Amino acid sequence: MLLNTVIIILREVLEAALLISILLAMSRLLRLTPHWVSVSVIVGAAGAVFVGTQLGDISQLLDGVGQEVFDASLQLLICTLMLWIAVLLTRSFYLGAGSGRGLPQLMAVTVALAIIREGSEIYLYLSAFVVQADLLPGVLTGTLLGAGIGFSVGALFYYLLLGLPCRYTLGVACGLLALVAAGMSLQATQLLIQADWLPAQAPLWNSGDVLPEASVAGQLLYALLGYEASPSPVEVTVYLLSVLLMLGVLFLARQRARSREVGERQTDAAPMV
Amino acid sequence: MIEKIRKNYLSFLLCCMSIVPAAAIAAGGPVVELEIINHLFHPSELIVPANTKVKLIVYNRDQTPEEFESYELNREKVIMGGQRAIIFIGPLAPGEYPFFGEFNPRTAQGKVIAQ
Repeated sequence: MLLNTVIIILREVLEAALLISILLAMSRLLRLTPHWVSVSVIVGAAGAVFVGTQLGDISQLLDGVGQEVFDASLQLLICTLMLWIAVLLTRSFYLGAGSGRGLPQLMAVTVALAIIREGSEIYLYLSAFVVQADLLPGVLTGTLLGAGIGFSVGALFYYLLLGLPCRYTLGVACGLLALVAAGMSLQATQLLIQADWLPAQAPLWNSGDVLPEASVAGQLLYALLGYEASPSPVEVTVYLLSVLLMLGVLFLARQRARSREVGERQTDAAPMV
Repeated sequence: MIEKIRKNYLSFLLCCMSIVPAAAIAAGGPVVELEIINHLFHPSELIVPANTKVKLIVYNRDQTPEEFESYELNREKVIMGGQRAIIFIGPLAPGEYPFFGEFNPRTAQGKVIAQ
């Protein structure tokens, strides 16, 4: 029970922890006050318990696929917000913190939604054991261990990002955001296939023998890249489109910010001539 | 430009959501039922036709929630105590596809056999 709990909790915590660590590192780099984190953790935790208690009703909606559609919508909303955050990060990086107005609020909302998504599953998992007193100690120990490992990995990413030379931090952080977001959109696609809202197809390949999804490496890659051992053509297409879209938008944002930065420098320099 | 791309992204997401009716109409295939009783799946082996989409109905007869999970089927769904859940699986190539109850993985195990 212990090991099983560790893996389940780790899996849920990892995704949110990665997102928080990337955004925290960026807000440190841009010298934004990190108040948004505490707010979003509190709101997210309260929201997670609320959604957890309502999941029974949510599941019954839309002919019994309410849960899939709800989760998928939440994932896609988080992806879109992440894209928006990445654009604002790029702008503030080149043009100063003033050009990324609303960034802390946006990060707070995104992290809160991610915590609601992952936290509601943790709440349900724990609620399944409250009535089984004999299993509870193992489950609680496993929860603490899993959460501890998850947040340690998050901390590792945080310090890695801050340890990078300044000029690489933005690129690496946005690259990671793009991958996490693409992974989320793939999960959303899979949920919609499960709900029969998207066409079901035979998988394109199966790498489950080489790298099982259930393994620790598989779980890490799942959180970071949305690793899927046997994806269908729709899933692969959505994944690639998301990555390309994110990178394309970021590239354009960077070009625009840079040309404006150069423009501002020239106007600053003009009176001195 | 960025605004435009952001809008395109949103409309792409909306497009994804709007394939709904086409897929929903196609649902009229075989239906298979499964029960969870005392953290065990009944039956623990489900035989389904290969290369066909199957509607799986899972009844959770326990008081506690359970998560139907299968890496091989790419499926996961929380089923609250006393509730019924619908999960679409397949089309599957002939073979065996294990599934388990993530909240009670030692006892709640089973497999789908596509043939």
